[in-house]
Amino acid sequence: MDVGFTAEQREFREEVRTWLAENRPKQTRPMEGLETRDYDLAWQRTQFEAGWAGVSWPKEFGGRGATLIEQLIWYEEYGRADLPSVDSCFVGLNHAGPTLMARASEEQKAFHLPKILAGDVIWCQGFSEPGAGSDLAALSARGEIDGDEIVVTGQKIWTSFANTADWQELLVRTAPGSSRHQGISWVICDMKSPGIEIRPIKTMDGGAEFCEVFYDEVRIPLANVVGEVDKGWDVAMSTLSFERGTAFTAGQVRLAHVVERLVDAARTVVGPDGKRPAIKDDEISRRLALARAEVASMRAMTYANICRTLRTGSPGPEGSIVKLYYSELQQEVARLAMDILGLDGLKFVSRWLPNSWSGYFLFAFSQSIGGGTSEIQRNIIGDRVLGLPR
Amino acid sequence: MDLLPTAEQTEIANAATELLSKELSTAQLRARIGEADAVSPAAWQACAGMGLLALGLPSSVGGADCGLPEETLLFREIGRHVAPGPFLATVLAGHLALAAGDEALAGRLAAGSVRVAHLEPTPGASVTAATLEGRFQVRDWAGAEYALVLGPQVAVLVELSALGPITAYPSIDPGVRVGEVDVAGAPVALALADPSELYLRGLVLVSAQLVGIALAARDLSVEHAKNRQQFGKPIGVNQAIKHKCAEMAVAAERAHSQLLFAAATCAEGRADSEFQARAAKVIAFDAARKNAAATIQVHGGMGWTSEFDAHLLVERAEFLENTLSSRSDNLAALIGLDAPQ
Repeated sequence: MDVGFTAEQREFREEVRTWLAENRPKQTRPMEGLETRDYDLAWQRTQFEAGWAGVSWPKEFGGRGATLIEQLIWYEEYGRADLPSVDSCFVGLNHAGPTLMARASEEQKAFHLPKILAGDVIWCQGFSEPGAGSDLAALSARGEIDGDEIVVTGQKIWTSFANTADWQELLVRTAPGSSRHQGISWVICDMKSPGIEIRPIKTMDGGAEFCEVFYDEVRIPLANVVGEVDKGWDVAMSTLSFERGTAFTAGQVRLAHVVERLVDAARTVVGPDGKRPAIKDDEISRRLALARAEVASMRAMTYANICRTLRTGSPGPEGSIVKLYYSELQQEVARLAMDILGLDGLKFVSRWLPNSWSGYFLFAFSQSIGGGTSEIQRNIIGDRVLGLPR
Repeated sequence: MDLLPTAEQTEIANAATELLSKELSTAQLRARIGEADAVSPAAWQACAGMGLLALGLPSSVGGADCGLPEETLLFREIGRHVAPGPFLATVLAGHLALAAGDEALAGRLAAGSVRVAHLEPTPGASVTAATLEGRFQVRDWAGAEYALVLGPQVAVLVELSALGPITAYPSIDPGVRVGEVDVAGAPVALALADPSELYLRGLVLVSAQLVGIALAARDLSVEHAKNRQQFGKPIGVNQAIKHKCAEMAVAAERAHSQLLFAAATCAEGRADSEFQARAAKVIAFDAARKNAAATIQVHGGMGWTSEFDAHLLVERAEFLENTLSSRSDNLAALIGLDAPQ
């Protein structure tokens, strides 16, 4: 039971901190469209060129091959430096990439992995459908096999960055008449293929990276199937726990900074009595103090989770506990920000701009929905952590 | 960095669990209702014999040469078993005696031959390094030679006989004897010049008991949700129950992780020790109170009976909340402290 870091780890932290300070993007992130693509890829490329891309990726795939503790340190420093989140590179780095590593052919790996790492391409996820949200196995996008191609017809939805992505990890039903987990294939889809139509969906926080994607007889080479045809469910499940690994650590550290910024704001903003600073208000002061304690407990939970993974060798379902709590805490902090700001909170400021509280408040609603709703997380905790009957 | 207990530390916790289930079970707690003393001398001696009163003390005074992390796990188990007895005051008194240079007393405390009652000042009471004045709540004083008062500014032992007559009153917790005493200038027997380290140790050990309660409540609920059949199936298949259990798991895991973080931070003497310890207490109390309440609900009618253990968890959590600091004390401190490193 110790929270000390070795001399080597402290040195690593120093190295990360210095590099991030010297190489961080100079401009603030643009808010939407192709400019975000250029911005995110340029930042990824900068990291790649200095050997920092894919800290959690094994060396054999060109990654940093950092230990879990080093990954933790990297993400802590990344969050502490208040750098832009990886956003459009997230799916490639933390979902599609690891899936390819686990299940793709040598040829597929050799073609795609270096591009993801080097910041050449953006990946998006084509999983959810209008009729298949939390119940992913209800998906019905059809993939008919025609010679050496799959012809895809159907619709996907809630696809972040479909409008700027090059590639998509796409789940389609390739076995006619199959249902549920059988007969699905995991396919690499070129987003420039004829027959794909992308319609952005505006979200309540003003974001425009959310999309629905329509497929009208889109022809994808059969060679783009990862794993076996009709066995894609298994491929999709292989990396779910990877997503719950260290990748969210940066966001959690960033949340600690959000709370500290809020404490600072409460020292200057006039409070509910119209006279004293907000922090002098008992209720606001207590909620801020509680938020500080809660952020600390989330960090402790992240540490515990990483240490558990170190011992068992693979991330367990306990990651759902962190994810569930992280979502709730962001929303509580966002509400607290609105309470502190009062009238000023009613001015809309995009979450991509500095000192945006209203944008953050509106954005936070997505956090208990994306990446598996809080209800699904509670099911996972009940079934897989606690062993309750289904 | 490894936040989780080592194999050796887990072994210590397991040994404590074994002894507590044997000597200080809730059945034994109930059997002593009406006795002045919540723990029999034999059971207390058994705990001392196993080294539970001096895990963190050096072997020179009969301790086990372990540290705060091991004590933390022990107190987590004490909480989990809602074990009765003046463990907290006695263990803290051992550290106080050692730090104040009274090795003989530390040795007698380690051996279980001296018990220490717990004092909580009521509003208006005053404690200095020299005297106690005013009204105090007294806990578990039967057979005690000393009483402990511990706060952020003060860590003292007084002789129990110096306090004056104690008026016992009924307790919400059948495992904690409670009374009141009006003290008129009782002299302090032993005081620490700098109480801060002992105070943080106390906060961590109280938090540990609260975490034990949160874990016990979670486990009781999960067990019941698996076994209790209604509408032809275990109630745990229903999301109304399953999600309640999941929330209990979140609360317990969060409190447990923060507890381990605080114990490690305080043991290493890091600058954010106070922040982490106070955060641990706040989070642990919220988890204990919430989980204890939820387990009553999950158990339905049975949960509300005196015979079932759930109410012991509820009641002990309230005692612990009113021990060494309250939630509002901790929140007031947390907003003023520097952000953790």
